[in-house]
Amino acid sequence: MAHRITKTLRLAAALACIAATAGGADLKSVTKELFAVPSTTGNEEMLAAKIRALLPKGATVEEAGLGTIAVRLGGTPGPTLILGALDGYGHMVSGITPEGYLTLDRPVPPPHARFDAFLLGQPVVISTAKGPVQGVVSQPAIHLLTQERRRTQVEGFSLEIAYVDIGARSEKEARARGVELLDPVTYPALLTELAGDQWAGPSLGVKAAAAGLVSVLEALTGKAVGEETVLAWAAQTKFGARGRGARPAIGAARARSKWQPKRTIIVDVIAAGKGDGFPFPGGGPVLVQAKDESSALRRAVEAAAAAAGAPLQFLTAPDSPMALPFASPPAEVVTLALPVRFLNTPSEVVTLKDLEALCDILERFIQPGGAK
Amino acid sequence: MTKRIGIGILALLISVSSAGAQSKAWDILREIVLVPGVSGHEGPVSTFIQGRLPAGLKAEHDGLANVWFTIGSGRPHILFVAHSDELGWTIDRITPEGRVRVKPGGGILPQTIEARLVLIHTSRGDVAGIVSPRPGYDERPTEGETQETTFTAESFDIYLGVATEAEVRALGVAEGDTITAKKTITDFAPGLMATRAVDDRAGCAALLDAALRLRPETIKGRTITFAWDVQEETGLFGASELAKTLKPDYVFAIDTFVSTDSPLESKRFGFLPVGKGAVVRAVDSSNVTPKPEILKVMAIAKKRLIPIQVGNSRGGNDGSVFLAGGAIDIPLSWPGSYAHSLIEKIDRRDLEALTNLILAVVSDWK
Repeated sequence: MAHRITKTLRLAAALACIAATAGGADLKSVTKELFAVPSTTGNEEMLAAKIRALLPKGATVEEAGLGTIAVRLGGTPGPTLILGALDGYGHMVSGITPEGYLTLDRPVPPPHARFDAFLLGQPVVISTAKGPVQGVVSQPAIHLLTQERRRTQVEGFSLEIAYVDIGARSEKEARARGVELLDPVTYPALLTELAGDQWAGPSLGVKAAAAGLVSVLEALTGKAVGEETVLAWAAQTKFGARGRGARPAIGAARARSKWQPKRTIIVDVIAAGKGDGFPFPGGGPVLVQAKDESSALRRAVEAAAAAAGAPLQFLTAPDSPMALPFASPPAEVVTLALPVRFLNTPSEVVTLKDLEALCDILERFIQPGGAK
Repeated sequence: MTKRIGIGILALLISVSSAGAQSKAWDILREIVLVPGVSGHEGPVSTFIQGRLPAGLKAEHDGLANVWFTIGSGRPHILFVAHSDELGWTIDRITPEGRVRVKPGGGILPQTIEARLVLIHTSRGDVAGIVSPRPGYDERPTEGETQETTFTAESFDIYLGVATEAEVRALGVAEGDTITAKKTITDFAPGLMATRAVDDRAGCAALLDAALRLRPETIKGRTITFAWDVQEETGLFGASELAKTLKPDYVFAIDTFVSTDSPLESKRFGFLPVGKGAVVRAVDSSNVTPKPEILKVMAIAKKRLIPIQVGNSRGGNDGSVFLAGGAIDIPLSWPGSYAHSLIEKIDRRDLEALTNLILAVVSDWK
């Protein structure tokens, strides 16, 4: 109950601060606005509220529970589902020590083994019901390091020794600042513009993809639509369903149950620019399929890309947890992924022309004739 | 209640009686901490300091960008010195793939800048980059393969968003340019923050604030020098240059006390809490302060009602290079958690206590 109240208060705070931002905005400004909102698995309500505020006037929002939201565009019977994610990877407060330091845990397993190690000695933000609280993750002073402590506390840094310092001296003082267990902990939303029209920042990939869907919706407002299409932003996409075998993402599985799509495009992110470079950042969105074979949906996406003059890259890879719930014939699913350099680090890099191409392809796909 | 207010007013009067105005050290710190000045490239910091010194003071400077002024005459000659340089890197080379490689060193745990933003300070302005995460950072090692665990300045490169050497050069980036971590200020609460380069911009700010509040009539037959020197982090080079011409009797080096007020440190030594006052560094890696001098500082602080702590820790200080010339080195500090990091922590009360202590020493030191 207390947690629900906390979340409600946090949502109210988010709504209050975004009340003035509603209205049509371009892709870059939408991306910047979504980027500024923390969103981790189980704590997507602020980002969902922000998206609602940015939707075109008159858009009717549908929900699938847990925070998932969607907007339906009318057309011939479908629907086609275009599904993005609301949640990024992050941490949460798991305890408060008597000295006022916060301990950390994750709501979901990390995307890779070094994910937690990036926290060492970094500023973080705790999103509390009373508003954001700034903190830093403690690190040893270099002057005081012994070889043994360098091995265990620096090279071997893990959540076991991650303490967030918020400047409090006691648990009581920390709680008085508004900090409670389960509050999300994320890196400060510092967006950096690099050369080559690239942007960098924490959790930028998923926010950019979510912004892309908002932008597509905005662009299609008042225009004819081919097939009935549901554009959705799913919560809890990093959380896999329990049980034997493959683990579909909870948020995606619920979206399937809710909207029963005939065909689905998962809008996701993909690590790019590694090793041999493929997929290439700047080379266009990546069309990912479990099998390298043609399908009506794939042909339609390719045709939409060609019509939009947008580049596409192709990759065959096992279905992601997002795609898994939609992978049973006769339903069709493909993933259209935004290439992200340094994915799942504090500095994810997105090439703006990839994001623009993603939007162009989706916009063309939704328009009359696009989904055929 | 009336008695308590009376004591408060008395304390305020005593603590500022050697000073000309209210401390602005905190505001100065929040500005100067953002000015880039990697060791050997402190020009912008020196310019900042010279631009804010009182007009009546005749500042001197040398080819290294050391800045100082001397006021008064007679003995003893008392030198206060803070260092203006900060930790960072310089560009070693630019690869054909458009990545920037840096020279070894830096003084910061490299793990804390992995996949982090940095700024390259070029002749045409700042260029943003990202320290590339180690190759395979997101892959699990295959069986029989050990994942590389070391991440050093020699091994990392910086990504600028371009793919060729020519594109990097077109941004104005060149070998020898300096690099600093992108600085952000974490405000825990009013008067309590963490950021990069508090070491030793807090010392610079304290000294500058003291210079601005200095009342010449308090000097009385002694010589006082305030100096902001360079290249401390790379070997006390700026102080060594100053020591060729300045022959003080006492040196008060103003620099970080590496406090163990942190959840990851042993409290066996160095546990001087943040927020509990200025610090006398009794013993560090470069100097043992004579006990009578420590007691003199403590007595002055007590008389002026300035909160003060004494402790021993690690790290060197610029005052130590004057020891051979006959000076006594008495380092003054603030308790700093997370030294040499992106999150060096400081409390406004400690900084203002330090500034008040500097002014009290100027006035009362015999």
